[in-house]
Amino acid sequence: MSNKFVEQGLRSPVNLTWEVSLACNLRCSHCLSASGEPAQDEMTTAEALDLIEQLYEARVFQINFGGGEPFMRPDFEQILDACHARGIMTCISTNGTLLDAARVERLAATRLVAIQVSMDGAKRETCDAIRGEGVYDKAIAALKLLAKTHIPSSINTVLTAQNADEIEDLHALAKELGVALRVSRFRPSGRGADNWQSLKPSAEQLLGFSDWLAQSGEVRTGDSFFSLTSQERQGLGLNLCGAAKLTCCVGPTGNMYPCAFLQTERFKAGSLRESSFQEIWDSSEIYESFRNLRIHSCEECQRFDQCHGGCPAVAWHLKNDISEGDPECLERCVTSIADAKKTDAA
Amino acid sequence: MAAAGIKLHPACRVRQEEFGLLFYDSRGPRLLFAETGNLLAPDYFEVVRSKGELPDGLNSHQKRVVDNFVNQLLERGYLREQ
Repeated sequence: MSNKFVEQGLRSPVNLTWEVSLACNLRCSHCLSASGEPAQDEMTTAEALDLIEQLYEARVFQINFGGGEPFMRPDFEQILDACHARGIMTCISTNGTLLDAARVERLAATRLVAIQVSMDGAKRETCDAIRGEGVYDKAIAALKLLAKTHIPSSINTVLTAQNADEIEDLHALAKELGVALRVSRFRPSGRGADNWQSLKPSAEQLLGFSDWLAQSGEVRTGDSFFSLTSQERQGLGLNLCGAAKLTCCVGPTGNMYPCAFLQTERFKAGSLRESSFQEIWDSSEIYESFRNLRIHSCEECQRFDQCHGGCPAVAWHLKNDISEGDPECLERCVTSIADAKKTDAA
Repeated sequence: MAAAGIKLHPACRVRQEEFGLLFYDSRGPRLLFAETGNLLAPDYFEVVRSKGELPDGLNSHQKRVVDNFVNQLLERGYLREQ
């Protein structure tokens, strides 16, 4: 990843996360947006279709749909069709419970969609403890349907203290099902903030995962773990936060944010009900502040070129300051373990 | 069957940026930042071209540069033979 071009500024994001609804039929304990009931005044179908036209004009390459559960929106397939008609690639993050054979067949009619089904444990009891009773079996059923199609499909797992020891088994399960494995970082937003202490992986677990990841090149992490990834994986993903530079987030009511983990008034870049997508991308002060963000406290770190200070969203939620370094980066994990050993020895 | 020509891979997209062309490959995903300036427009890649078919108006140096670039895109999977 060359930073020179990113720092010059791109005319539009490469991709964006669009949380189309807060409605969800599950109540996962780590949910980044505390989904459940739909938000008041979510975007109408007409507004959603207008946004797609704007994204097409802006030449955004891909939309990553999330929520909530995207399929809770009755018009979601219409929204997808409009994207595909414009050649925009889509990736859907779903809990899998609303994917049946007929819907999968319809989705497979396009070559422009990829699907991630959330699963938070290789063991039924681990997954269901986080996502709800019976969800593991429904997710497996959805993945089996998807594996019969050409749709690029994956298990998406949020790394937590509870499932950190099952990641290797999840990888084996994904292989057995004929899908990929994608691991995402647990961040303290939404219900994830409420359950942060009980679900967050320990420093030892994060280090163990980092080591495993270094040997598992085919496992995808999106932009989740650049704060942890080793030299071996550089080139497989980002080495910096892409918020407001390569990506951004549209919330259910048409507000734009730097990323899905910073959907608060403090980080609102604009509203699509008041300004166009391009105007917000080009002119938002919030986006400008992210483009100019430098984590000076990390500049002396030997890993600075590999993570540039890590995830500002985690720094915000844990330290209330986006310009602080990522509290869970590889260096800090190593230091905290060493400190704990010294304390034990003393 | 012999290839009829080359075109952007269906998993890839390209757009114009100030520096030149930005390619996106959804299979990685991966990005390619190409400092091509205004030598090539994105729509050059969106129809099937015979290999060696270059835009009009290029001088011999530019033709060589563009030809090499197109071959690199082909090798790296951003273009494919049809």
